[in-house]
Amino acid sequence: MTAALRWHRVPRLLGMVALAVLVLGPLYWVTMSSFKDREEILRSTPTLFPQHPTLENFRQLFTATDYPTYLTNSFIIAILSAFFTMLVSFAAAYGLYRLRIPGANKVAGLILVAYMIPGTLLLVPLYQVFATFELVDTRNALVIVNVAFTAPFCTWLLRGFFFAIPRDIDEAAAVDGAGPVRMMLRIVLPLLAPGMSTVAVYTFVFSWTEFVFASQLLVSDDLKTLPIGLSAIMGQYTVNWGLLMAGTVCTIVPAIVPFLFAGRYFVGGLTAGAVR
Amino acid sequence: MSERSVLPGVRGAALHTRAAGRRRPWNRHLLGYALVAPLVLLMVGVIGYPLLNTVLLSLRDQGVVGSSSSFVGLDNYQRVLGDGEFWAAIGRSGVWLAGNLVVQTIIAFVTALLIGGNGRWARGARTWTLFPWVIPTVAVAVIWQWLTNSNYGIVPKVADAVGVHGLGSPFGDTALAMPALILMNSWHWFPLGAVVIYGAMRTIPGEIYEAARVDGASAWRMFWRITFPLLQPVLFALGLVGSLWSFNIVDSIYLVTKGGPVDATTTAPVFIYNKAFNEFRASDAAAVSVVTIVLLAALAFVYIRVARPKEDQ
Repeated sequence: MTAALRWHRVPRLLGMVALAVLVLGPLYWVTMSSFKDREEILRSTPTLFPQHPTLENFRQLFTATDYPTYLTNSFIIAILSAFFTMLVSFAAAYGLYRLRIPGANKVAGLILVAYMIPGTLLLVPLYQVFATFELVDTRNALVIVNVAFTAPFCTWLLRGFFFAIPRDIDEAAAVDGAGPVRMMLRIVLPLLAPGMSTVAVYTFVFSWTEFVFASQLLVSDDLKTLPIGLSAIMGQYTVNWGLLMAGTVCTIVPAIVPFLFAGRYFVGGLTAGAVR
Repeated sequence: MSERSVLPGVRGAALHTRAAGRRRPWNRHLLGYALVAPLVLLMVGVIGYPLLNTVLLSLRDQGVVGSSSSFVGLDNYQRVLGDGEFWAAIGRSGVWLAGNLVVQTIIAFVTALLIGGNGRWARGARTWTLFPWVIPTVAVAVIWQWLTNSNYGIVPKVADAVGVHGLGSPFGDTALAMPALILMNSWHWFPLGAVVIYGAMRTIPGEIYEAARVDGASAWRMFWRITFPLLQPVLFALGLVGSLWSFNIVDSIYLVTKGGPVDATTTAPVFIYNKAFNEFRASDAAAVSVVTIVLLAALAFVYIRVARPKEDQ
């Protein structure tokens, strides 16, 4: 490798370092802070690595606060939302992009409009709707909201994945005597695994993050989700930064781990969907 | 996601069965309608009906959300349109939108160029670049408040070390709160733009660059003459969807400043949220929502007319 070529790479290398500091720096700092004891976290000369790593913050988080309840609620709501969104968006995408029902284009257009419509502006009337059906302060309300706001986007996302499966497969299966339902579940669905995992991860992360609807639709303490609970801890224990850092780390990890497994498809799926 | 999923030998068999596929059209449509129905029902119930209901609610005088009310016609609109605070909120939404759009587009573009390489670093970066987008907004809010905390935060300390003394938390400062929130929110959202732009860049055939390089074009020139123009359709779509999503953000703002200090970060959606759930004036909130949706739709219409890439027409 010549010197000239190396010089050419310097700006790119510097840019990469800057990106890493910008993206990973804050995450590193918060993670390190969560392992520091009360004295060290507030020290005027900050330490890059905890001198006396301790799990005290985490112990306190799980024993002295309602954090375990919030964690459980978030998991239940996120997993249910992901499941139902997979169901709804797979079915809809199959009908629209595979069976091509009459009027499929109109519905597909509506889907695009739906996912651009601001959820927050619908908060007030939606609250009313849920009040009518006595769904306020239930997990179901939040699952319904999450599914309704992710399913249109996910249906659209699956479009690209459906187009990658050749239609000839249907015809070959028909000759083997497979009925339409069997064809959908036994032949197309398995081929759609990457698309479905993208949908699952997207919905899980969306539900895990959702704050605005959770803040109004859930009232009881034993139903609250992590975003609500963590913001409550933020207000309540303003001084106890170690505890807050531990809570933040435990909120981040469940969002990042599924993403690490399905991330490859996720990035591919998002770009495939967006480029169209 | 690619042609790899084609089963070998299927193509030949297909030729004989074209007719069989058309055997039960009615049955097929019935199944199709049944499959699409749940999504349509959800969209009508959770998006369509509430949208309509917002209009009806804006013509009534409801206080606490869900309480009884009576018809008052356009009174709410009259009050809202004459309310200086509402227009101030719309103005702040404009600043919020423009700030996020500019900051995120620039960072996303640079990031897309960085992660587009073939090296081990670039490949790894394609995964971790998305972390800020994947983590919950509440975590983003905590992280940045911790980093910028005036007593213990690392940012003021580093600033102090390089000679900028007495830096307080920007989120508590009326002048700095908005730019600080824009930067924080951009940190949260730029990965999405970066990945979309990166994906679009990969669709540009390498031969075009080869040809330009043979002609002696510089990297800078190639970017502006090849990459940028060819990305127009994607940037157009990203600009539209990204703007709508940015405009409607409540959580990033509410979790950090609740719209303060002294309304410095109260954008239109935060204004609506506060009206409905802190001031308990549901009908006013609905009227503001309707006006905001109309303004957004008009803006989107103008944007589509002006910015739509020509080859799309």
